[in-house]
Amino acid sequence: MESNELTQRFAKDLVNQIAVIVRTAQIHNPANVAVVSSVEKFVSLVNTLAREDGPVTLELVGEYFYLNEERIKFSMEYLLNFDFLQREFKRRSLGSLRFACEVNAGEMQTFLSAFLNSQYSPDPFDDLTLGMSAANCIECGRIRRIVEDDNYDLRKAVKRTYFNAVSYTRGVMNKIKAGERVSIKRAKRVIESMVDLLLEKEELLLGMTAIKNYDEYTYHHSVNVSILSVALGQRLGLGKKALMELGLVALFHDIGKTEIPSEILNKPTSFTGEEWEMMKGHTLLGVSVIFRMKGFDSSSIRAAIACYEHHIHHDKTGYPKVQKLSDLDFYSRIVGIADQYDGMTSSRVYARVPLAPDRALSLMMKRAGAQLDALLFKFFVNLVGIYPVGSLVMLDTRELAIVCSASPSEHLRPRVVMITDDTGIKAGPRTVDLTEKDPGGKHLRSIVKALDPAKYKVNIAEYLL
Amino acid sequence: MPQAEEIKLGQELMQSFLRARKNLRIYPANNPVYGKTVEDAYRKVIEYLDLYGDLDLKLRQNEILLGDKPVFQSVEKEDNLAFILFKDGVRELSLQKGLAQNEMKGFLEAISYDFDKGDDEDVVTLFWERDFDHVKYIVDENFLLEDETYEASATMRAREEETDEGELRRAYEEALKEQAEARVLDIVPITRSDLDQLVKEIEKDSGDKIPRLTAILIDMLVCSDGEAARENLKLICGALEYAVQNGLIYSAVHILQSARKTSEDPNVPETLRREMEQVFLFASSPPVIKRLGEELDSGNMGDLGILMDYVRHLGREAISSFITILGELKTIEARKTVIDALALLGEKDINALAKGLSDPRWYVVRNIIYIFRKIGDRRAVDFLIRAARHSDVRVRMEVIKAFGELGGQGVIQTIRDALDDPEQSVRTAAARALGQIKSEAAKKIIMNRLTAKEFVDLDFNEKKEFFEVLSSWNESGVVEFLLRNLRVSSFFRKGRYDEIKACAAYSLGLMGCKEALPSLHRLRESKNRLLSEYAYTAIKRIEYGK
Repeated sequence: MESNELTQRFAKDLVNQIAVIVRTAQIHNPANVAVVSSVEKFVSLVNTLAREDGPVTLELVGEYFYLNEERIKFSMEYLLNFDFLQREFKRRSLGSLRFACEVNAGEMQTFLSAFLNSQYSPDPFDDLTLGMSAANCIECGRIRRIVEDDNYDLRKAVKRTYFNAVSYTRGVMNKIKAGERVSIKRAKRVIESMVDLLLEKEELLLGMTAIKNYDEYTYHHSVNVSILSVALGQRLGLGKKALMELGLVALFHDIGKTEIPSEILNKPTSFTGEEWEMMKGHTLLGVSVIFRMKGFDSSSIRAAIACYEHHIHHDKTGYPKVQKLSDLDFYSRIVGIADQYDGMTSSRVYARVPLAPDRALSLMMKRAGAQLDALLFKFFVNLVGIYPVGSLVMLDTRELAIVCSASPSEHLRPRVVMITDDTGIKAGPRTVDLTEKDPGGKHLRSIVKALDPAKYKVNIAEYLL
Repeated sequence: MPQAEEIKLGQELMQSFLRARKNLRIYPANNPVYGKTVEDAYRKVIEYLDLYGDLDLKLRQNEILLGDKPVFQSVEKEDNLAFILFKDGVRELSLQKGLAQNEMKGFLEAISYDFDKGDDEDVVTLFWERDFDHVKYIVDENFLLEDETYEASATMRAREEETDEGELRRAYEEALKEQAEARVLDIVPITRSDLDQLVKEIEKDSGDKIPRLTAILIDMLVCSDGEAARENLKLICGALEYAVQNGLIYSAVHILQSARKTSEDPNVPETLRREMEQVFLFASSPPVIKRLGEELDSGNMGDLGILMDYVRHLGREAISSFITILGELKTIEARKTVIDALALLGEKDINALAKGLSDPRWYVVRNIIYIFRKIGDRRAVDFLIRAARHSDVRVRMEVIKAFGELGGQGVIQTIRDALDDPEQSVRTAAARALGQIKSEAAKKIIMNRLTAKEFVDLDFNEKKEFFEVLSSWNESGVVEFLLRNLRVSSFFRKGRYDEIKACAAYSLGLMGCKEALPSLHRLRESKNRLLSEYAYTAIKRIEYGK
């Protein structure tokens, strides 16, 4: 069994065991052998984890349990006990149980007794915590209000969706390399989540595109291009269905690279002429891979077109060289912009030092009209802002910060994560909104200049994830 | 907790969803049953919503719960409403107050989808695309994860390399030292004209993408050779198949035109040009032609002439496929179009076309003979002679018509034989065919037939047909022959002989033979009404050209 399966199994057993304890104690006396043995079993389980990983937190968020921030998967086997425990937690406004250290059976009995006694109390959570004063190692947390849950869940959902997309892309590319069949069903679901999140809170998912990964560049890049394309498509007024199609098209724009030998793809030194030609061939290979993977339908046709055209410039330069071609396809132009931007701002095997986001935009601006579609680029700049997510900036307060999300109303005043104090000393990250003003109406902070994060080896992920 | 009545209504609802699933899969959307099914289900849901508020359901693999009570249970794979939703991750479903009938329709269509088609569609995507306002669902996305540990490990890896404090310090100091620079970029506001241009771009984008794809595939093909070229040819065929499958016949024609152009381009290597034939062979293959036939029958093709543009690119290989569909088409328009197509193709290979004469369906055989008539190739005679003995009179008649049009020595004997056909229609057709051939031999056969003993006993109309045919030889011998017939008399079977005279009068009238006027005036006085009328008509025709 895979280790994650084991972890999930363990987590499910743990939750199930609490439910068993509560259910048994509702019927029997606490000294009853059934209660005692189920408590002992639980103690053994939780202590195993505590010994390995330190404090153990079981949390109820919405309809799901999380163990140490990992969501516990739905399980038919334990559905009734999960439902039961969820109700019992909610009845007492109990949101989390934290086992700060290894517990003993006595402490669990204390918790159990407090838990049962609080059932009919007018203030069950208060009574529960009061009754647990003797259980030093067990801490209770109140259930978080819906509003808090929403934000919490949204950020988590964004992260989960992003990494799920990367993981999916990695899986697909590996499967294609191995000649296995690929399901597009999953890709659609991944893109649906992305579209939903972009429609709900564009800047959160857009912010994830600043997270670059050198080792897994191709997968991250595919997802980033997909996110940037969908976000741009949304700005262009495309409908939900079209956004999904665009997201799919963009996700697979580099799928032809699966056909390039990895020693070339990951070659750390410059390509020879022949190798470069081979690399350029990924656009043509992409067409074949798309149809092999998905057959012919309207979205695979669009995906194939984008695979082929995404390196052809607006003025028909670039590659592959075409015999006769009218204007580039609308999606190809969108994907082309997203691809250039993400490529320039990422560290790749053949271009180790990435451009700062604002520099990349500036360079692209020079290309607009010739290599890039000027109209679409205009929308793109409006999307990512003058200081795109991931930009390293100095503020007029002499603090350094990283842009974490654009402000839809004020392009010069994004939200930033402060990374140094005003003397240049690394500071604990905190988020600041640059639109904030003092009582006199003056902005508290303003950007004075952008710096190149790559030059100073600033790990953006450290602050944005 | 829902009470018994609510549960009962919930159960009825599930049954109405199942019924809808069945009906929506059987009937097309424009069928009244389809609409009524949606209405019935909608009425039932509204009844529930009015009585009990939102319908909140929990999904398990094999059951659907309302509250904690099952309203649907099944362990079967077929029509398992719970499993249809559960398998794609739906765990909770809520139909809410304010539900519109259109939403109900969308919901029912989504659950009625044939997920066994293997096209990677799923119920959650179908719900998502419909963007319901009053159908909410909670989905467990975990089963979609490729690698559940990926998020945690990727996050850890990304955070692993902490930013160096010294580097930050350097960034800080360098930033302070340098002059504050002007921003590298400015936001350019989106203008009205930008938006107008964008609207045009989006409208332009809604067009068919196959021509663009074709250009790409052809470009890829001409740059390739060997296995890669064969792979690219397959892709072109795939695009063609897609176009035909989806009724995009214009696109299919575009693909064929592009392929043709490439195959004739002297700049393209000879081997590749030869291999291009595969595309045309594929376009001629039975499944593709069958699909074309379905599209023709559906009436969705619009201008049926587009099929001819398609057919122009096909070779003789397509003939048998078209013959097959000819017998299967339901509409006359579709059959006419296929006949035209076969006439075009048949010229390339009449042997292949002649195989259709062995088809067990008489109407296919008749259509093939008709196609031979359209082609007008005398080599067809050899094939048609056999069909002249076909058991169906309509086929025999068609053969004789064809022979009349084709002419030549080879057809005479068959036509002569047809004069003895048990069916009058065939005999008259044979007479007309001889008239069309208009040779001496043909004339002789007609005259011999008119003088045959049994001719007098034939039906008047048949006799008249023969005389009419004879009138097409406007020459003295024929005039004399007809004048003689005007004078024929007999004590026995006088009525029958008067019919002969009437037919001769009719013929002479057609010929405008003034010589016959005295005899005709005489016959005008005949007591036989038929003879008198025919004589009068002939006189009018001769004297006044009427």
